[in-house]
This record gives sequence, structure tokens and C-alpha cells, in this order.
Amino acid sequence: MRAVHSRLASLAVLLIVAGVVSAQDLASFEKRTSMRTLDNGLTVIILERHDAPVFSYATMINTGSAQEVPGITGLAHMFEHMAFKGSDRIGTTNWDEERKALARVEEAYAAYDSARRAETGRDETKIKDSEKAWKDAIAEADKFVVNNEFSEIVDRAGGIGMNAFTSSDMTGYFFSLPSNRFELWAFLESERFRNPVFREFYKERDVVTEERRMRTESSPFGRLIEQYLAAAFTAHPYGFAGVGWPSDLQSFSATDAAAFAKIHYVPSNMVIAIVGDVNPTEAWPVIDKYFGRLPKAPRPPALRTVEPKQMSERTVVLRETSQPLYMEGYHRPAATHPDSAIYDVISQIMSNGRTSRLYRSLVRDKKIAAGAAGFNGFPGEKYPSVFTFYGITTPGHTPDEVAEAIHAEIERLKTEDVPADELQSVKTRAKADLVRGLASNNGLAVNLANYQTLYGDWRDLFREVERLDKVTAADVKRVANETFVQTNRTVAKIESAPKKDAPKGGAK
Amino acid sequence: MKRLTLNAALILTALFASAFAPPFASTATAQVTSATEIKTPPLRKFSTPQPKRIQLSNGMVIFLQEDHELPLVRGRATIRGGARDVAADKAGLLGIYSQAWRTGGTASKTGDQLDEFLEARAAHVETPGGTDVTSVTLDVLKADFDAVFPIWVEILRKPEFRQEKIDLAKTQTNTAISRRNDEPNGIVGRESMKLGYGADSPYARHSEYATVASITRDDLLAFHKRTVHPNNIILAFIGDFDSVKLEKRLRDTFGSWPRGSQVTKPAVAMNGSKPGLYLVAKDDVTQANIAMVHPGIERNNPDYFALNVMNEIFGGGFSGRLMQKLRSEKGLTYSVGGGVGANWDYPGLFRVQMATKSGTTLESVEAMKSEVARLVSAPVTDEELSLAKEGILNAFVFTMDTPDKALNQQVQLELYGFPKDYFTKYPSMIEKVTAADVQRVAKTYVHPDQLAVLVVGNEKDFEKPLSTLGGVTPIDITIPEVGGAAKKAVATGSNPEGLALVSKITEFVGGKAAIDSVLAMRRTASMTMHTPQGAMEMQLNALTNYPNASQRAVMQLPMGEMTRVVTPAAAFMISPMGTQDIPSSQRDAMLSEMRADLINVLRNAGNPKYTFTMAPAEKVSGVDALVLDVNADGSMARWYVEPSGRLLRSLTHSTMPPGDVVTDFADWKAFSGINLPTVATVTRNGEKAAELKLSAVELNPVVDEKAFVKP
Repeated sequence: MRAVHSRLASLAVLLIVAGVVSAQDLASFEKRTSMRTLDNGLTVIILERHDAPVFSYATMINTGSAQEVPGITGLAHMFEHMAFKGSDRIGTTNWDEERKALARVEEAYAAYDSARRAETGRDETKIKDSEKAWKDAIAEADKFVVNNEFSEIVDRAGGIGMNAFTSSDMTGYFFSLPSNRFELWAFLESERFRNPVFREFYKERDVVTEERRMRTESSPFGRLIEQYLAAAFTAHPYGFAGVGWPSDLQSFSATDAAAFAKIHYVPSNMVIAIVGDVNPTEAWPVIDKYFGRLPKAPRPPALRTVEPKQMSERTVVLRETSQPLYMEGYHRPAATHPDSAIYDVISQIMSNGRTSRLYRSLVRDKKIAAGAAGFNGFPGEKYPSVFTFYGITTPGHTPDEVAEAIHAEIERLKTEDVPADELQSVKTRAKADLVRGLASNNGLAVNLANYQTLYGDWRDLFREVERLDKVTAADVKRVANETFVQTNRTVAKIESAPKKDAPKGGAK
Repeated sequence: MKRLTLNAALILTALFASAFAPPFASTATAQVTSATEIKTPPLRKFSTPQPKRIQLSNGMVIFLQEDHELPLVRGRATIRGGARDVAADKAGLLGIYSQAWRTGGTASKTGDQLDEFLEARAAHVETPGGTDVTSVTLDVLKADFDAVFPIWVEILRKPEFRQEKIDLAKTQTNTAISRRNDEPNGIVGRESMKLGYGADSPYARHSEYATVASITRDDLLAFHKRTVHPNNIILAFIGDFDSVKLEKRLRDTFGSWPRGSQVTKPAVAMNGSKPGLYLVAKDDVTQANIAMVHPGIERNNPDYFALNVMNEIFGGGFSGRLMQKLRSEKGLTYSVGGGVGANWDYPGLFRVQMATKSGTTLESVEAMKSEVARLVSAPVTDEELSLAKEGILNAFVFTMDTPDKALNQQVQLELYGFPKDYFTKYPSMIEKVTAADVQRVAKTYVHPDQLAVLVVGNEKDFEKPLSTLGGVTPIDITIPEVGGAAKKAVATGSNPEGLALVSKITEFVGGKAAIDSVLAMRRTASMTMHTPQGAMEMQLNALTNYPNASQRAVMQLPMGEMTRVVTPAAAFMISPMGTQDIPSSQRDAMLSEMRADLINVLRNAGNPKYTFTMAPAEKVSGVDALVLDVNADGSMARWYVEPSGRLLRSLTHSTMPPGDVVTDFADWKAFSGINLPTVATVTRNGEKAAELKLSAVELNPVVDEKAFVKP
């Protein structure tokens, strides 16, 4: 056990001292890591870490909200919610009957949905009747539901941190369990993708709509982000609301979700990373036994749409009763592009720590912002995205002042070489951050699965530091000049408008 | 995809076969089909390494835990004394203290120098603060430990709190204050704490512009002097070090540090709000945030363990009752949670909180209340009890699966005086809990009739008025501006004396009919402004359009002509440098100022948004004056008036820049039947700011609307 630790430690020391990841040390990390692709195309990574009898895992599906089209926006996220509803064996009292009842729900919903969305000859009685029929069918189907059985099994077994996320790029599922529950985990995790059942779909659709109200509609910042992305992307689905447009959220059906899952939730489109007290010799047969049940299917087709070159600056202004905010973004290439590490360095120079340029200029010296940064990976990184700057104004200062100060710092990037010590500091910190990120099972599992999915190789987690190390001052200047130009810019800001009907002077 | 949405019915049949039938019914039969079929081997025995404890003769306690997995060293000095130990009129001190502690640097290095030094080494030294402690933390690569350790020590013992960083921290804090009503979850969190603990409780109160303004460098130094003594400090180190060597180093560094005064827990009364229904109006949301609170327990309560089980049943994860009922069954919410809160050495709150769409607000309040009632009245089933206990016990391994968790536990136990084996005994205490225990503690610690229920939302979109559920107490969350004068002038409604005095002033100025006929006014004046650089003369020509609340002021300055235009829609400045927008916050301040203008106020004497309250008389420059508090649609002014109706002085409060503004009026003259003061002397925060001499007034000049439009 200690030998394993010292190997990891020596890798880390080399990362720092030598400044590069040598192949040998990557190899030593690899010794504790095993990876297999099952016959059905599923990729599984196991990283041994035996400190405590626990393990964490992350399942990553290479499908996110960017795989949606108008009409089904929000569906990737909706499926994520449904993956906690069980299967034909978990969450039901009688699958045969429930299956028929769910089919009737879908029939009834299709009738109701086409009635209420009829463009001509709307018939209110028909809408009402079909809605009632649909709701009755739901009530019938609900009789067979064992509420939250999937999560109850995990809770009872001592699972912690059970959650999932849907980003523009991927959908991820994760939790941690005591290591004596490994087989139980393999059963549960394979089960929910083997035959997910879309029970309680329409109730969960309301839950997801509530999530939209919370994250987007009731938050000035959420509203700004949604408008910003919608303005920045004209063709690429990165411009859609990841949580879904309200009309789609209130329209799509379990049938839509099943069709989406059939295409995307296939083993060849999934990566699972397991980190912790797991013995690969014992684990592989268990993984084969359970995950081998997932049917083989081709990988979903790659996305066609590429965001066309931006021709003119775009600006959205939200007039809100809340305090002002400023953001602006510039299109940049995907994470797999050779220049990607240069963008990472730019982000670090501009935003990392109290020596960063935006902090020093906007926060420390001009005091026009309480926080300011420029960052990558928004809203995703699999496809070309927007390098985004933001500034949170201090009282009495305006988004325009923030814009001006950000532009001055961008101008410096374009015209002056980054000093050697500044560049070195950024690289040193990136390496140290990598070391610090190796500490938690859960974090490692998510990282490994993420890198395997995005780059096709988990080792890129380490190579990224290597790539970053090669970035020069000339690279920074070139990329800044190519990227940060007016015609490539989208501006989004909140300007404070006085309250329409100020309800002041209520009782204290 | 169009086909899918428009003709969903047509393709339903095709999809059903795959969507709702197990694809591998045939191959799956030989396999495990239920979680219960899976055997659970016993969990391998393991023990978390426990840190070494050292106590110095000066009272400092040190915990050391070697962990050689990664080449890092992390350390933390935990110091007794936090936000609860700060006086109420200095609320916010701790946030400013903990920012400036690090950024303000040390005697030998400025904060900026520290930034350079530490970041070049990917090292972190930070000074976070909380309710009852502050900390100085260290996170460094092993190779840099020797270089960074002395900095950590110097920050701990000799911080400089340089003024410029205190000012920066204040700007940051004021930003947070200005933004605290933007996000609804921030409002519900803050206001429910005040309802639970009482608005003045050190566990609930928060900073205001005024408290921030009052905080000085001496206050920060005094707090440091009061708390940072070895007998108030617990050190904890974890990482890739030799503990024998580090122990020696720590003894050498801190061994001779003399003891100081001990920080003890302040006595705090629990003065939570009365049970009832409270509403914060927020109109830019589609959701209502709901919280219901009453006081909870302290950690040393013997029923803590039974309450843990109860909390798990009530609000634990997805299988707890709240999630089951309110999210899974009713689809009312995305996020809901609750339980009896316990803090280490002061009471937590019982809290149930959720967010729901505006149209189901009352339904949700009722549903939440009924879950609270059910918690007290309905028996806990065996199934619920076993699920909760097994979940807690099986997950127990995660409370100590890494050495830093074990270390943090020991620090907590030391800090709050709990037995060292508290966490070791935890599982056996949970195992003992019975259904009857849960029932009993629910009855003892959960009080449905004592809940303060808070709703933050947009009442016009609620399914019914909130008052349907009972009496509603509105909570005003308007952020108070600095300075007492204007605030004191807040009037909830006119009083008859106030209205009588306004009539007197109206008569003095020229009578209601004459004043009402004034739609626009052009004033020409010469003005002397007193600036830090000396006096500055200017000519002023100001055109005011009263019904449109717009003003265009042309100023002849030594450096050229400047024009300032302020309207509710736009505000800008035209100068030889070009046209520039005026920030919206300044525009609002100017519009507010214009509302308090004499003619505007008198024109609006009958407007319900303008109120007038007579206050006790005062002397102004030796003259007896009647005092009138004017609320001009949110713009507050205090007027000092002669019994004749002649205005002597106006006291207002300006937000940009903040301060009290006193304007003394003299030499009244009639201009086409309107009596106006021709001399105005302006004092800002006690210092002379400007004098204005009015030379000409034109009533109802021709107004060119274009003059108010940005060129």
C-alpha cells in the first residue's frame, strides 16, 4: 500500500521539480490503473487506492444538451433525472401491468398534446377531455410505482454524494460506497442503463421545470447567462438553454426521452471510472457480468452543426432591478484544438489569484469590480466555445467601466510579451493544482472519466500540464490577437433599472 | 425531429417495443434481477490514523498527522473568537478583518508582495473567519515549506492591516450589501436566520453600509489583540513531513509566546420572532422561496443521536419524507430539505425550506406544514427507521476515510471540549435509537405551532393571497443607506400638521394654482464650488421639465462647457471630450435629488406618493423653525420652515457620494408670481460645498424635447 503511495508521490514530485511528466512516471501511475473496453463497447477504468474501504465512481455519457435540437431542448437533462427512477426490476410492484399502464399514458399524452397544440381548429372540450384521460392514465400507472427505490437501495447501503449532472457536453452520474458494496453498485449502475423505465415522467418534468425557475428564471445571473449564450451562438446548440426552453419542457414526452436514450445511452458512448479500494482481479468479472448485459449499439453520429464565423459584435442588455453585471465572450476552438493550452494560460494570467491581471486592475487598483475573470469551457469545451470575461461591479460603477478595463488588459495581451516570471508562476500553479486534484477518490473518478470521454484517453489529464508547459509568450500574443477582436465579441450586461412600483416602506 | 414532435402519435407504436420492453429479457433471466440477491461481504477492518496531540505550556494545542501520499503540507491555526464576538454596531467587522488580515500584509511585507511570493510557489496562506473562530491556513508544496512557514507565522502574529486593503475589503463588503437582495435564495437564507434567532442576534445579524463605514483599522488591530493568543489557538498540520522535526520547529516558534486573555463564548439570548407568516415581496421571480424555522438544539444534547435519525427520516437525501412527498409524489419542487439543526456550542434551528413555482406557493406552505405535523404525530415505521439507521451506519466509514477528516474531527472536539472518542462512539449511539425515541424527540423538539414561516416571492402570481393562510407580516428588505438624518425622515404617511405646513409653504411660494401651472423652468445662476483643489466658479443654466422629471443643465467651466442631462430613461454628460453615459446608480441619485426640489414637491403636494410629517420644532441659526419630514416618492428630505411658510433650510442625504447635505436658503424674490430663494449655500458633511446665486428665472419656456435625447 505504501509502495503505491510513494509511486504517486514520486510522480507528483517530478511534476513539480522537473516541470514535466516523464513517460516513466505516467507509466507508474498507469500501473495502478487498468482500463478495458467490453465487447459491447463500454470503457471502464479502475484506479486502485486502498487507503480506506471505500470507492467512488463516475459514469460519463458523451451526450449533453448539445445533442438536442429545437423541440426537445432539456431532454438530455430530463433523462438524467429519469435515470434515478429505476428499471423494469427496480421501482415497480408489477412490471407487466406497469408497462401496459405506461403505454396508455403515452397514448393519452400524444392525444392531449396534439389537441392542445393544434394550430387550427382548437377544440377546448377535446383538450380538457384528453388532458383528463392523460391524468387518469398517469394515476393508474402510478399505482405500480415503488417510490425512489433506486436511491433507497443506495442510501441504505451507505452511499454518499449521490448525484448527477448534465452539461452541454456530457451527462455524468456519481456516488461513493463502502467497498463491500461493489457488486451491488455494478448491479444498480448497469440496471439503470440496461432498461431505464420512464415512470413518473410528467411529474419529474414539473420538477425539472422547477429547476429551470430556480436556476434561470428567478436569478438575474441565470437570466443573463441564458441571454448571453443565445446571442453568442446562432447555429450551434451551445446557444440553447441547457435546462430546456419552457415550451419544450412542457411538451416533450417519455416517448421522446426513450428515443433519445436509445440513440445516446449505448455502451460505446459511455465511460465509467472507479477509484478506490477495488481489486481489479475481482472487479473485472463483476463488471463483465453486469455491464456485459448492456446491448451493443453503434456510437451516436457526430454533431454536424459548426458555429459559423461571427460577422459582427452582438450585445444584449437586461434591464433589471438587481445590481449591474458585465460579461463578454469571444469564440475559441474546441478543447482538442492545438491552441487550447494557450487559452488555458491566458485564462490563468487574467484570472488566477491575486496576482492575476484582472484582479489587480479591476478589483485592487480601479476598485470598479468586486470580482473579475476570464475563463474557458463555457458553456462546454467539446465544441468551439466562448472565452468569457466577466466583472461584478462595485457600487457606483458601471458595466461600461468594467468593459473598458477588461479591454485595456486584453490590449496588453495583444501588444506586450507576458513576462517570463509571470508565465512561470502560471505554469507552476497549474502543476500544483493537478497534484492537489489527485487527493479525492470522487474528484479523480470524475476527472478520469471526463478526460477519457473528451480526449479518448484518461492520460490527457497529465498531458495537459505538459502542453501548458510548452506555451510561450509569443503564443499568447498570437492567440490574443486572433481571438479578442470586436467582430468576434458578444456582450451581455445587466443594467439596473429603478423599480417600476417600488413597494417601499413596508412594516419593519 | 419535426416528424417526432408533430406526428408523435404515428411513430409511438414503433418506439414502444424498444422503449418499454426489456431489450434482453431472454439473456437476462439467468442473471441477478434484484438487489436483495447480492451478498454483502463484511467490510474490511481498518482504522484511520489518529493525529498526535501536543500541548504547549502556554496552552496552545497542536495536532500533527503525517500523510505521505502527495508532496504537500497543509496547516491551520484555529483561533477562538469570531463574528459572534463583535459588537452589533460593527457588524461586518469579521469579514473585513479576515480579508485585510491576509491582504494587508505583515510588518515586513505588503500583501501584494506576499501575493507574488506565494503564487510563484503555488502556495496559499489564507485567513478565513467564521461565526466563532478565525483561521490562518497554509497549503504548500513540501519543497517550499521552509520558505513559506515563516510567512504563515508572521501573518498569524504580526499582521499590518494596511489601510488601503481595509478600504478594498470595505468596497467588497459594500458590494455584497448592495447585491444581497438580487438572488431570492440569499434573501430567504438571511431573513429566516433573523426570524429564527432574532434580528439582533450575533448568529443572524449582518453588515450594513453604516456598520461598515464605522469600522477602523484600530478595530481590526483590537480584535487581533483580543483573540490571537496561544491559549486560544489549536494548530493542525497534515502532509508530507517528519512529525518529530515539525514538532520541534513548532515548539521553537511558539513555545515562548506568553498566554493572553481567554476568549469565552458570549451569552446570547434566543429572541426569535413570533410564530406567524412573513412575506418578503420580490417581483422579478417565478418561484416562491419558503422557509419555516424555530430554535433547534446544541450538539451536546443527549437526544442529538435520535434527532440525527429523525432528520434522516424527515429530510435525508432522496428517500427522506420531504423529498418523497413534495418532490417525487407532488412534483412541487426541485429542492427541499429540513431537520433539526445542531451547532457545537450554540443552538441550531429547526428548518424546512423549499422553492416552488409562484402558482403553488400556498399549496406548498400547507404541504410543508403538514409534513412537519406528520413528523410529530404519525408513527415512524420500522421500514423508515431501518433505512435511516442503516444508511447512517453504513455511510459512517465516510466520516473517517481520509486522514484529514480524522484530523479535523480532533480539532473540533478539542475546540468545543468534547470527549476524544466522541466519533468512535457515534455508531453505537445511533444503533441504540428506537422508533419510540424518534417519536419522543420529534414531539420534544419539533413544534408546528411555533414556526415562523417566511415566503419570498411575487404575491400577485400566487394562487391566492398569502393572507388566506392567516395574518401576514411584511418584511421590508430595503437596504438602509448611510447616515441617520434621511432615515429619520422616513414617514409612513402624512400627519395633519405636516399637510397644514405644506399648504403654508405653497401659499408663501405663490399659491397652488400658480405652482401647478409651472411645467418647466429655466434658471440662470452663478455658482461657486468648493473642491479639495480650491474654489471653482461656473455659470449654470438649468432647464427642468417637471412632468417628465427631466433636467438639462449647461455649465460654463474654466475648462469648457459641460452639459448634464438626466431623465428617467437616460443620463449623460456632454463635454469637449465627447458624450458619456452617467452610471445608472448616479442617475438614480440625481433623479432622487430632483424629486426633493421645492417646486417639484409642492406640485406633488396632493400625490399619495409624497408624504409630509411634522416633527418637533428645532432652532436653525438661532431662529425657531418648524420641522417637516418630506418623503418625495422615496426621496427623503427634512425641511426647516419659518411659521410664515418660508423655507430656511433643507437637509437631505446623498448616496453619490454618501453624506448629509444641508442647503440654506436666503434672499427670496418673486419671479412672475413665484417666490424663490436667490441664494443657496450647500454644506456637505459639515463642509461648505457650494454657493449658488440665482440671476434669472424663466417660467414655462419652450422646451425642445431633443435637448433631452442623447446626441
